[in-house]
Amino acid sequence: MTFLFYLLAAVAILSALMVVFSRSPINSVIFLIICFLSIAGHYILLNAQFLAVVHIIVYTGAIMVLFLFVIMLLNLNTSNEPHKSQLTRITAVITGGLLLLVLIAATKDAVLIQAKNPADYNIGLVKQIGQTLFKQFLLPFEISSVLFISAMVGAVMLGKKDSKKN
Amino acid sequence: MDSQNKFMPQDYIPIMIQSFIVLGFVLTTMIMTHLLGPLRKSKAKLENFECGIEGMGNARSPFSVKYFLIAILFVLFDVEVIFMYPWAVNFRDLGANGFLDMLLFLGLLLLGFIYIVFKGALKWDNS
Amino acid sequence: MKDMSVALKFIPLDHYVLLCIILFSIGVLGVLYRRNTIIIIMCIELMLNSVNLLLTAFSVYHSDPTGQIFVFFIMVVAAAEVAVGLAILVMMKRNIDSVDINLLSRLKW
Repeated sequence: MTFLFYLLAAVAILSALMVVFSRSPINSVIFLIICFLSIAGHYILLNAQFLAVVHIIVYTGAIMVLFLFVIMLLNLNTSNEPHKSQLTRITAVITGGLLLLVLIAATKDAVLIQAKNPADYNIGLVKQIGQTLFKQFLLPFEISSVLFISAMVGAVMLGKKDSKKN
Repeated sequence: MDSQNKFMPQDYIPIMIQSFIVLGFVLTTMIMTHLLGPLRKSKAKLENFECGIEGMGNARSPFSVKYFLIAILFVLFDVEVIFMYPWAVNFRDLGANGFLDMLLFLGLLLLGFIYIVFKGALKWDNS
Repeated sequence: MKDMSVALKFIPLDHYVLLCIILFSIGVLGVLYRRNTIIIIMCIELMLNSVNLLLTAFSVYHSDPTGQIFVFFIMVVAAAEVAVGLAILVMMKRNIDSVDINLLSRLKW
């Protein structure tokens, strides 16, 4: 179990680094899919099983396919992207490293409070999640449909306006 | 220990073994074909045979934006479905109230769908 | 093998916190490092995912499903963000024929 955790963590971090540093956008998308799959593995290790399946369906199945689709649609696979200047890139790396250091320093001495509920390994299953979602979080659930509508309207407005002009 | 109604991560070990076998099979076949197959690259071999058409341009040509709009709408309706699994499992517990809540959610989404249809985003030929 | 249960019995929560911090920092680094807009959106997805993982780890640690519900709402927000963001990206490519983020500087003073 411990070995599996470190394996998945190493895969996630390495593929996340490759997303940033690989030359072609297609490679970036493939590495991001690998990263998301290893995060789904983490969810399974945490016994959040429904979340793991939903994560694979939504991220790997829908969102990353949309990314690949856009790359094919816009013919971006040639990787002729002009790179930032050397100074900007060095600054970016230093800033990222500093953020990492600050966050680690801030959480290093944090003391975990004791878990208040008794250990219950069934919380990640569909039934428990549904009970909480439809009793405690009913209003955010209904409001999220408004978010869906606004996303639909936005996408249609942006996507349709152009085809009328042509 | 009542392992009857407890679902644990080790239930996924068969799936893990299967995915390892699948990945291993694909990787070994790909590596072995590179190692075993003879590599003969000559100019005559890479050329088209007899009257074949000369290849030109990039193999990945851009396609129409119409597909893109469909893909975006697919993602939105796909994410909406993740709320319906927990609802379906708890359908009896939630009773009529839960049914009405889901009806409201789906009604709001249907409003968006009606907007999409009337805007003509799903129309295939805009002649 | 029989009593192997949730990972948190064996792995301290600090390691999850560390992993999520590293993933989040890589996402920030990618946003600052690249000029390609599509990769910047991908790095934002990476940051959202590291937060999701941390929420789930704490939710399992406290045996409280609230954290996992939040992950669902973050997924909804991420899907909406990707839909609108990629639509903007396609329009940008059609109008100025580039996906370079530095060309979108009209609001800069």
